Amino acid sequence: MYAPLQKKHDGPLLQVNRLKTYFFTRSGLVKAVDDVSFDISVGETLALVGESGCGKSITSLSILRLVPAPGRVVEGSILFNGQDLLRMPPTEIRRVRGNDIAMIFQEPMTSLNPVFKIGEQIAEVLRLHRGISNLEALERAAALLEQVGISAASNRLRDYPHQLSGGQRQRVMIAMALACDPKLLIADEPTTALDVTIQAQIMELLAELAKDHQMATLLISHDLGVVAGNADRVAVMYAGRIVETGPVQTLFKNPCHPYTRGLLGCIPKPGDKGPLQTIEGQLHPQQNTAEGCPFRPRCATACEQGLTRPPQLRELSPGHFVRCWKA
Amino acid sequence: MSMLLEIQHLKKSFLVPGHKGSKAAHLKAVDGVDLQIAAGETLGLVGESGCGKSTVGKLILQLLKADEGQILYRGTNLVPLSARQMRPWRRQIQMIFQDPFSSLNPRMTVGESLSEPLNIHQLCKAADRPEHIRELLHQVGLDAAAANRYPHEFSGGQRQRISIARALAVQPELIIADEPVSALDLSVQAQIINLLRDLQRHHQLSFLFIAHDLAVVEHVSDRIAVMYLGRIVEIAAADELYQRPHHPYTEALLRAIPRPDPDLAGRPAPLRGELPSPLNPPTGCTFHPRCPYATDLCHQQPPPMEEIAPGHQTRCFHHKLVGKFLKDRK
Repeated sequence: MYAPLQKKHDGPLLQVNRLKTYFFTRSGLVKAVDDVSFDISVGETLALVGESGCGKSITSLSILRLVPAPGRVVEGSILFNGQDLLRMPPTEIRRVRGNDIAMIFQEPMTSLNPVFKIGEQIAEVLRLHRGISNLEALERAAALLEQVGISAASNRLRDYPHQLSGGQRQRVMIAMALACDPKLLIADEPTTALDVTIQAQIMELLAELAKDHQMATLLISHDLGVVAGNADRVAVMYAGRIVETGPVQTLFKNPCHPYTRGLLGCIPKPGDKGPLQTIEGQLHPQQNTAEGCPFRPRCATACEQGLTRPPQLRELSPGHFVRCWKA
Repeated sequence: MSMLLEIQHLKKSFLVPGHKGSKAAHLKAVDGVDLQIAAGETLGLVGESGCGKSTVGKLILQLLKADEGQILYRGTNLVPLSARQMRPWRRQIQMIFQDPFSSLNPRMTVGESLSEPLNIHQLCKAADRPEHIRELLHQVGLDAAAANRYPHEFSGGQRQRISIARALAVQPELIIADEPVSALDLSVQAQIINLLRDLQRHHQLSFLFIAHDLAVVEHVSDRIAVMYLGRIVEIAAADELYQRPHHPYTEALLRAIPRPDPDLAGRPAPLRGELPSPLNPPTGCTFHPRCPYATDLCHQQPPPMEEIAPGHQTRCFHHKLVGKFLKDRK
């Protein structure tokens, strides 16, 4: 019953091309994801960065075809190992979810089922995708818990989620995600709900596991500190579009989009007691339906062209693209 | 410097009912805390979730009753006061909560939410109220038209501005801000922090700024107290604490701040393990199971609070050694 995507394929593991996911709400059209393209190679970590409402989570839900109504992918393709996930029949996409592509969410309390023991929940993934017996699945579950750093794992299988701390719950989520050895892990704000000390542990664990399993990661985060420490490449999103993308070194050392610069400036610097740099105003979900550059209303260096024409992504140096008239 | 607020040996425990045959137990949330806040000062209070920092805030406001200890506000002990006796003091001490989505009444317009405290404390005539509310909204950077709208019409940052306006309505002296920016986006977080600082200067406010993010706390605070399992483990001026931490937990918190510099990638996590259960705290120094400096002494007895420099106190036997892991910092 298990049929992994066997077809060998050169080129990136995941290729998102011109993805458009729109929400048809009663108060009008919201272009949550508006012409987004990126790719992720085997074993690589790409970080999608941006503030709430920028479309980063909807991008990841589009990959797994889990966009909630009234949202819908209206255009584009998402090639995973060369196969278009958007055109797969439902039975096949179910085989990909949790198997070839796994996902962990921000809030480990709400993404675990409170009335099932954690062992059952991990075993379920294995029974479903691997077709192994319950006993075997529970043994595997214990091994997985051990792997994600939960001590005395076989005793913990009978615990309910509420008996675990936030950090442990996130470890259980990671164990579930890893159960089928996925080729791509989508981690949506995996440490946002955790304390900084636990956050450091979880990110370290994710990095180790990605290395050991040759797993690619799509890391979704609003925390530039976490991104700097864990990504190979970064894409900054604003109002449904990627506004800047590049290798992590380039993006942090030489940010070229005023939004990226603004975000970096907002971070309090140790020892500096002056007022924090801010980006005036806020992101409006429907900003990108207007003409021109969607960032213009908040831009410190707003230009004439941006008033009428939206800027396109331009390559400034190899792999470093910026969507700004002035960059 | 005259002290606005003095907390002495504050204790609070909660009874946790037993289950599956285990006995009910006392959880010592706050276990002998001493703190002072001077007029016009911002004291930062940091620690991991479950360390008791929010409980301290609620005890000050008498939202929870202390088991032991004193909370002296301008020399008056608030702990024995009845709810009625407490009322005039509530005007002096206000609170801003973390979640601006649940701390505003969804059925009240912003104007109604803001006029309620004015009403209760009889601060202005009914006729002057609209003008007063306009002024409050203006102070927090909102349009006067906001008064007629409902909370759901605002973004998180705007709602936090409304909460701040509501706290300011009664012209308090001390504001307890419990994680006021941790639910907000980065760019909005910076706006709110700047707003709080402007208001502080303008109204000579004092703040107790409770947060888990040491980077933000360092930025806004004059002094910082670090809390671990119900106790203050280190307290110092903000710069001093940042430059020369003398408690291993403070050092770990500083190292755990994710920094926007890819050159620092791959640093090992500074702390192993999680916060131990406060129901069954470790013996001796409660931090010893996670501490890289721990020795036998730390297992056996709790270290006393020691003043190691003027205004800098720490609770560690090995405070002279602390700091060796901070070399990776620029």
